Amino acid sequence: MVELFRNIINIISVAAVPLMFLVFVGWGIVRKVKVYEVFVEGAKDGFHVAIKIIPFLVAMLVAIGIFRASGAMDVVIAVLSPVSSLIGMPPETVPLAILRPLSGSGSMGLMTELMKVHGPDSFIGVLASTMYGSSETTFYVLAVYFGSVGIKNTRHALPAGIIADIFGMLGALFICRIFFGV
Amino acid sequence: MLNYVWMSLIVIGLLVGAGKDISDEVKNTYRNGFPIEATVHVEKTPTALRQTWEGELVIPAESFNRFYGITSAASEIRLPVEMTTLSSGKTTITILINDSSPDFWREMARNSSGSNKLLGTVNSIKFSDDKSVAEVSVVLEKVNYVKLRAITKAALDYADTAVTISLGLIGVMALWLGIVKIAEEAGLLKLLTKLLTPLTSRLFPDVPADHPAVAAMVMNIAANMLGLNNAATPLGLKAMEELNKLNPKLGTATNAMCTFLVINTAGLTLIPATAIAIRAAQGSAEPGIIIGTSIFGAGCATVAGLVSVKILEKLPRYKKELLVDDHSSESSRG
Repeated sequence: MVELFRNIINIISVAAVPLMFLVFVGWGIVRKVKVYEVFVEGAKDGFHVAIKIIPFLVAMLVAIGIFRASGAMDVVIAVLSPVSSLIGMPPETVPLAILRPLSGSGSMGLMTELMKVHGPDSFIGVLASTMYGSSETTFYVLAVYFGSVGIKNTRHALPAGIIADIFGMLGALFICRIFFGV
Repeated sequence: MLNYVWMSLIVIGLLVGAGKDISDEVKNTYRNGFPIEATVHVEKTPTALRQTWEGELVIPAESFNRFYGITSAASEIRLPVEMTTLSSGKTTITILINDSSPDFWREMARNSSGSNKLLGTVNSIKFSDDKSVAEVSVVLEKVNYVKLRAITKAALDYADTAVTISLGLIGVMALWLGIVKIAEEAGLLKLLTKLLTPLTSRLFPDVPADHPAVAAMVMNIAANMLGLNNAATPLGLKAMEELNKLNPKLGTATNAMCTFLVINTAGLTLIPATAIAIRAAQGSAEPGIIIGTSIFGAGCATVAGLVSVKILEKLPRYKKELLVDDHSSESSRG
């Protein structure tokens, strides 16, 4: 069942991009759109958008870099460890939960490390990979998406994003305890 | 809020880093100025031209741990070493740090003048009778302000990374924006929008049902679901651009933008490809076992995010920030 679902999704994922090209361009030709000219017209914006993101991403990544390099993560983990043990979260996975919204590459490294130490099919291994798959790098998405249109006042986007992250991690923990629980 | 979080990351980082460095200095974690005893197995003896011994440095794990007051070194330390007697009579030592070196020394090497070696001076040297083994007492180069150095390096490195990431987006951005532009001109986006109006009008009540932003958002969410990250980001940015056209107060996020962003940060994917790939690489018997649990986890995140974004947008403090008034000062509190 899982295997079938996975195969179907895999086929869709592989075929999606070529299919989109075909449908979009084909539809354009049918509707007599000057496809080449229109494509170039649209593609021109790619450069500006990418450049516009730079200051936002620099600000975000530098702050996260300083935080990580200082070892402040250990302090946060120490503060959170009573809470995590209360809800049955293995202490090894607390750093991953905190790092997940901050840094994509960092949390990927941490997940790999946890699997290397505890084994990918151990409870910690499964939980770590589920946690990684249960969320996105919130701060990165925030900087890139809002940066591209010059949004400086992000209003309630960050609190809502962090609430989503917390629930994502709790959801991952809950479901893993039910299915692979110790 | 973003202002406070950003500031906290930096301030907490700096304070913790400085605190750690001061405590290292007080406790002398790196044993600056204290001699460590070691044995050198000589392989090359000095020639007339060069007063240099080459060989292997050996320190038992136990005495290494005792010297630094740690427990991390598990096996005997064996590293290539060079000792040179200078004309002044002083003998210097260079220990090459490689992958088999203890973590503690690797960290020290990273924070000293030679990044893959430890330098020091030899206090005393005592050869065995056949000159093949020497007992040495070595004072290593001073190591300090480890965290502050790391912070400086991280700040500069990450600034660089940010630019690399942004510039790396140019190609895919251009490709997708071009393709989407064709779809827009061909009227395909309008069609897609119409199909999904019942759902999108509920999620984004402020966005007119036939606005091009809706189609871009739908395509972005679809790409995310399929795990097509390369396509999702450009489509998402396209959606932001369209949403910004409806923005009465440029520079401030609208409700629709926040809702859209939260959907994206929750990262609902039908197939968490990265995690599965890494599981497979780590030799998992069932790499795909996390598909269901990940969908559940990300589903929780999405629902919680949508509920909280809808509640938060009704709070007076966030509502107030949407008001357009001429004498609005810099109220960018995020």
